[in-house]
Amino acid sequence: MKKRPELLAPAGNLEKLKMAILYGADAVFIGGQQFGLRSRAGNFGYDEMAEGVAFAHARGAKVYVAANMVTHEGDIEGAGEFFCQLRDIGIDAVIVSDPAMIEVCLTEAPGLPVHLSTQASATNYETLRFWQEEGLERIVLAREVSMEEIKEMKRQVDVEIETFVHGAMCISYSGRCTLSNHMALRDANRGGCAQSCRWKYGFFEADELLSDEMVARDEEPFSMSSVDLAMVRHIPDLVEAGVDSLKIEGRMKSIHYVATVCNVYRQVIDAYCDDPDGFVFDPAWEEEIWKAAQRELATGFYYGVPTENEQLFGKPRVIPQYAFAARVISYDASTQLATLEQRNHFRRGEEVEFFGPGFVRFTQKVDELYDEMGAVIETANQAMMTVRVKVEQPVATDFIMRKRKACAVNTPVPSQV
Amino acid sequence: MMIQLVTTAQGVEQAEALMMAGSDRIYIGEATYGLRHKGDWSLEAVREVTAIAHRYGKEVTVAVNNLMHNHQIETLPDYLAALKSIGVDSVTAGDPGAIRLIRNANIPYWYDAQTLVTSARHIQFWGKRDAIGAIAAREVTLTELGLIQQQIGLPVEVQVYGPTCIHHSKRPLLTNYFNEIGRPSDGAQKREYYISEPSDAASRYPVYEDENGTHVFSEDLTLMGQLPVLLKGGLHTWKLEGWHAGDAFVDIVRLFDKARSDLLNGRFDRHVMERRFAELQPERFRLGTGLLLRNPEEIK
Repeated sequence: MKKRPELLAPAGNLEKLKMAILYGADAVFIGGQQFGLRSRAGNFGYDEMAEGVAFAHARGAKVYVAANMVTHEGDIEGAGEFFCQLRDIGIDAVIVSDPAMIEVCLTEAPGLPVHLSTQASATNYETLRFWQEEGLERIVLAREVSMEEIKEMKRQVDVEIETFVHGAMCISYSGRCTLSNHMALRDANRGGCAQSCRWKYGFFEADELLSDEMVARDEEPFSMSSVDLAMVRHIPDLVEAGVDSLKIEGRMKSIHYVATVCNVYRQVIDAYCDDPDGFVFDPAWEEEIWKAAQRELATGFYYGVPTENEQLFGKPRVIPQYAFAARVISYDASTQLATLEQRNHFRRGEEVEFFGPGFVRFTQKVDELYDEMGAVIETANQAMMTVRVKVEQPVATDFIMRKRKACAVNTPVPSQV
Repeated sequence: MMIQLVTTAQGVEQAEALMMAGSDRIYIGEATYGLRHKGDWSLEAVREVTAIAHRYGKEVTVAVNNLMHNHQIETLPDYLAALKSIGVDSVTAGDPGAIRLIRNANIPYWYDAQTLVTSARHIQFWGKRDAIGAIAAREVTLTELGLIQQQIGLPVEVQVYGPTCIHHSKRPLLTNYFNEIGRPSDGAQKREYYISEPSDAASRYPVYEDENGTHVFSEDLTLMGQLPVLLKGGLHTWKLEGWHAGDAFVDIVRLFDKARSDLLNGRFDRHVMERRFAELQPERFRLGTGLLLRNPEEIK
C-alpha cells in the first residue's frame, strides 16, 4: 500500500466538475469570472462555485480556482475581495503565479491556501523553499523539470509538489512566451494566447550578404508545436518520486475527454498504490487514453529533452476521434433499457461504446432505439433529446455513450497552459 | 537628474569602447546562470571588465536571470561568492530560488523575470525583498511604464534599443528542426537564423539556440523618438541590447549618449536624432517599437 497522490482534473463548467469527480478525480481546478488565463473557458460565478464545492466536498473531493493571470496596472483591482469570496465559499486553494496576486491573497484572504502556478516556472529546490517560506502550501512545477530533479526537490524541501501528467503543453517555459502579444496583439499571460507557436514560419539564414531563404517553400516550414503529454505508463515513477498531486490539463476540453482521462488515471493510480509489487500495466488503459487523444502523446521532459519526434511537423497522423454521443440518465434493469440524454447525433445500427466510473466499458450495436414516448425511432438527431436504448450490459446514471466519428487529426485546440 | 545607459557587451574591448561612448553600466553574463549574452564572460573576463569600469566610475551588472534547475542552483553560491569578491556592482535575477541565494550572498540585484514583470505591485513585492530596481517586461506599454514608475521608488529599466526575447523554450528547437528536415544540425549554435511570421513575409525574428534551449527575439526596438517621454515619466534607466548590431553598436550607444545630453540641455531634436540613428542601424534589421507605443486597451 502506497500513499496515493491526488488526481487533479480540469473542470470548465459545473457539469464537467461533477463528471470529473464521478470518474475518479480527487480534486478539480476551475476558473472564476476574473483573474484566470482561460477567458474563453466556461468560467464559474460564485453561485456555481458554491454548488461545485458542495458537490465535491460531499464526495471528499477538493476544488481549486486558477487565478494565474500576470496582472498589468489596474487588473488587480478587486482581487482581495475575490479571494475572500472564494475562501468563504469553501474553495480549497487558489492557483496563482503573479507575486502581486500572491501577496494580495496571503494578506487579504488569510486562511485560503495558495498554490504556485506552473506559469511561475518553478524549476529548482531553492525556489520551492522560497515560496514555502512565503506561506505557499503547494508548488506546481514547470513542465521542464525531470523525474530525477523532482526526486532531488523532494529530498531537499518538504512542500507539496504537483506536476502535470496529461494534456497539451506550452512548448516554451510557461509564461515566458509572448509571440502572441507581438504577432497577434493578444496577451498570452492574460488569457489571450493565439497559439502562435503552432503556426508555420518562414525560415532564413544570415550570410555575408543579407538574409537568404534557406529552406525552399515546398519543404517543411519552421514550427514550434508540441505533442501532448501522457504519463499514463509512468505513474509508478511519479508515486515513487513522491509527487503529491497529478494534474490533467484542459479546462477547455470536453466532458468525454475529462471522464475518459480521469477514469484511466484513477485505475492506474489505484492499481499501483494498492499493490505496488503486483502492479502490471494493462494495455487497455492506454487504448482508452487514445480515444480522448487530440495529438500524438509523449512524456515531456520527465525522461529527457524532447526531440523533433515530440513536435508536430508535416502531415499529422490520423488519430480516430470519439464523440460524446449520450449521457445515461437512468437505467431500468428489468427492461434493460437505458434512458439517455443525446449529446451528438447517432442512429440505429451504429456501433457505440458505453463506459462508466470504475473503468466499466463495453461495445454494442444500437439495436433498439425509442423516443421518450416509447415509439421506435431511427435516429437520435436532436440536441439534448431524451431517448431509450436497449443495452447489453447493466449501466448506471452518468455512464457515457461514445461513438467513433469521422477521423480528425492533430488539430490545435485552444487549451494549453 | 541621472539617466543611466545600460548596455550589453560582447567582450572586454567592446565594453571599454562602450564606456567611452557613454555607457554607464555594462551588462554581461554567461549561459549557466544568465540568459542570452554573447561573448566569453568567464570570471576572469568579468574581473577584467569590472576593474576597467570602476576605474572610469562605471558599473558592471552580471546576469543571474536564468530559470535555474537543480544543478545550476547547486553551484550558484560559488559563482555568487566569486562575483562578490570581484566586486561587481549588481546582478539581475528573476528565479526566486536564485534571489534567495543572492540575498544570502548580500549582492544587490535588479529583479528580472522577463515577460512576467508587468505591474508596480509585482515590482514592489521584490522591492520589499531587497531588489534595487526592476527590468520591466518589454510587453508593457509606455503608458503603463509611466504609471508603474509613478508608484514606486525603485528605478524601472526600459529597453530603448535592440531586440528582446519573446519566446524561451528549454527545447533545442533549431536542432529538432534540422533533424526533421534532414540537415546536419552541428551549425545550430554557430550561425544566425531568423523566422518570419506567416502573415508578414518581410518580418525577421532572430532565433538562437544554446544550452538553455531556444530563444526567439523580437525585431529591433527603438525609443529614440520617445526619449522625452521617458525623461518626463521618470523612466531614467535606459537599456540598449547590442545582440546583432555588430560594430555599429558603439556608435548607436554614442548617439543615445548625445541624445541624453541634448535632452538635459533642452536641445533634443527628434527628427535629426531619428535620422542619424536610422543611418547607424544595420540595414537588414527592420526597426519598430514593439508594443511600447500601443494603447494598453488594444492588447487583449
